[in-house]
Amino acid sequence: MPQLRMTGRGLWITVLIVPPLAFIALFIVYPILSAFAYAFFDWQGLRRLDFVGLENFHTVLFVEPYRSWTLNAFRNNVIVFFALMVLQNGLGFLLAYALWRELPGARFHRIAVFLPVVLSTIIVAYLFKLFYHPLFGVVNITLKSIGLGWLAQPWLGQGGTALWALIVAQAWHMVGFPTLVFLAGMQRIPGEILDAARMETESEWVKITKIVWPLVAPSATIVFTLLFVGAFNWFELPYIMAGLDGSPFGSTDVLGLYFYRTAFGNVSAGQQDFGLGSALAVLIFLFIAAIATVITVRLRAREIQL
Amino acid sequence: MAGPPRQTCPGQDGRRTGVAQLSLRGIKKRFRTTDVLHGIDLEIGDREFVVFVGPSGCGKSTLLRLIAGLDPITDGQFFLNGKLMNEVAPSRRGIAMVFQSYALYPHMDVYENMAFGARLMGLDKPEVERRIAEAARMLRLDELLQRKPRELSGGQRQRVAIGRALVRKPDVFLLDEPLSNLDAALRSEVRLEIARLHREIGGTMIYVTHDQVEAMTLADKIVVMNAGRIEQVGSPRELYESPANTFVATFIGSPRMSLVDVTREGNRLNVPDGGSLALDALPQVPALKLGLRPDAVSLHRGGGEGFEAQVVYTEYLGDNAYVYVRLADGTVLAARTAPNDAFAPDAPVRVTLAPGAAHFFSAEDGRRLVP
Repeated sequence: MPQLRMTGRGLWITVLIVPPLAFIALFIVYPILSAFAYAFFDWQGLRRLDFVGLENFHTVLFVEPYRSWTLNAFRNNVIVFFALMVLQNGLGFLLAYALWRELPGARFHRIAVFLPVVLSTIIVAYLFKLFYHPLFGVVNITLKSIGLGWLAQPWLGQGGTALWALIVAQAWHMVGFPTLVFLAGMQRIPGEILDAARMETESEWVKITKIVWPLVAPSATIVFTLLFVGAFNWFELPYIMAGLDGSPFGSTDVLGLYFYRTAFGNVSAGQQDFGLGSALAVLIFLFIAAIATVITVRLRAREIQL
Repeated sequence: MAGPPRQTCPGQDGRRTGVAQLSLRGIKKRFRTTDVLHGIDLEIGDREFVVFVGPSGCGKSTLLRLIAGLDPITDGQFFLNGKLMNEVAPSRRGIAMVFQSYALYPHMDVYENMAFGARLMGLDKPEVERRIAEAARMLRLDELLQRKPRELSGGQRQRVAIGRALVRKPDVFLLDEPLSNLDAALRSEVRLEIARLHREIGGTMIYVTHDQVEAMTLADKIVVMNAGRIEQVGSPRELYESPANTFVATFIGSPRMSLVDVTREGNRLNVPDGGSLALDALPQVPALKLGLRPDAVSLHRGGGEGFEAQVVYTEYLGDNAYVYVRLADGTVLAARTAPNDAFAPDAPVRVTLAPGAAHFFSAEDGRRLVP
């Protein structure tokens, strides 16, 4: 039998790998597995009662009022995802292109664009809550001062604008991230390829759509996947800006808030249901895992070796 | 999306594209605070094969990029067929370029690489197909049209890059060190290919290289550049036979021309403490640089007329040999000899010159002196 000997290198690798693996097992794998398990039981507070099979899943998906709440939160997540796809990733791509082309001031803007990403979500959320304040907020004051006072409104206080106000805040916060990733992708494109394109067209649009965009596909894969996961796990910003109920009237409710409310209770409802919460968590997890896999596989296929 | 306006497409009927007359007047280029080109004046005629040659950093590639329009001209004027091109976009100059790295679009197959620019010119589909078929035939790309660039060898990529330029039927072809990424065997093959293409298409070609062999073999006209200036413009023969200064003299020709500092007394040239030589026609200056190519130098054993020298080593090349000898002042000369004419290292020899084969340059500024 071959003898297992711990070489110096092997020891190093073990020492480096075991702690993070243990961490992941304890704080990620174990909670996921226990959520799976919890979802199949009836709960009273923290006391586990009977095994109920798929009852909890059935309740959150098909029994009112849970059904409406689930659908409403899910619909909002979908809106958030597509809106951020345009505002955050789309804008990020254009910003990256502008930075890459070294327009005047590129050096300053490279830092300026990424700076908000470094800020804590708490800070961004409070900042924007102040910006959107109906009376003293900089948004309404600015609108009034430039003669667009009729546009001023309680952005966070009405169903039609609240979710969009949050989306804008989120996009401002994170736009630097896709910008950075796209910029890195563009900087990998050999300069002569762009020169070759310039010899054939002067249209920026053609250069962007036919040359640059296909060549930054690897960056797009990672950015799309992360945005998808982020959009469906969205929690901190709406929690701080709109509260646990997704006020007003659930217009900013998203799956993250809804799950939290259901599993751990809140001030207004006061009750908590681990079983339903876990069922929701499991559904969110499966949905994100499935779609993220599809996105990754589909986009990988169109990546190009430079 | 609004497509680009249709450009005129000369040469739809035959191979030949439009007439191309390039005129560069006082072209200067400055990158931030560094002057790269110090006023280039150059005329390039229709159908000429012009080679810009010079050492790295002499500004030859920069000049090519200015002609292409990829970098803005700092000062001076560039006319193409009498039209000022300074502010015209690269895609509207009627110029195509083959890049050193080939710069093929990695996400498109060979056909798409060639079709991309042709479509953007506003050509209709049958015309695009016809041109690609023609280019593919000329460059033997038929088998490769569905391949992606990464599936091609260096030589094949090179041909695709040339094909991409061909289908646009430009007035002027620019080639930036197109052979530098190929191995030696392929290089001479592609060199012949390019010469053949120029004969067949007949367009004006501007070719940049640091390799004087490529320049000599391909060019109708060579532009020798150094440190942002043109040193000399002329046919390969003119440059070889009457170089304008010591830079051109030593740059063109292999092995390099050797320069010997000599003093003149009457019709005799002296190497300090190293013997002397009588020549018929000499420039009337007291001191000068004597330029000697290997075929101008004869070596003799024993005493008599000529510069004294010592053999350093011999390069045997089969059909002939180069013997390197050191003169009394330390200058090393190459002499071409018969292959079986053996000279032992350190043997003393005398150097004489073939009649009319010596070049004379000013000792002060290196300019050519005529006797």
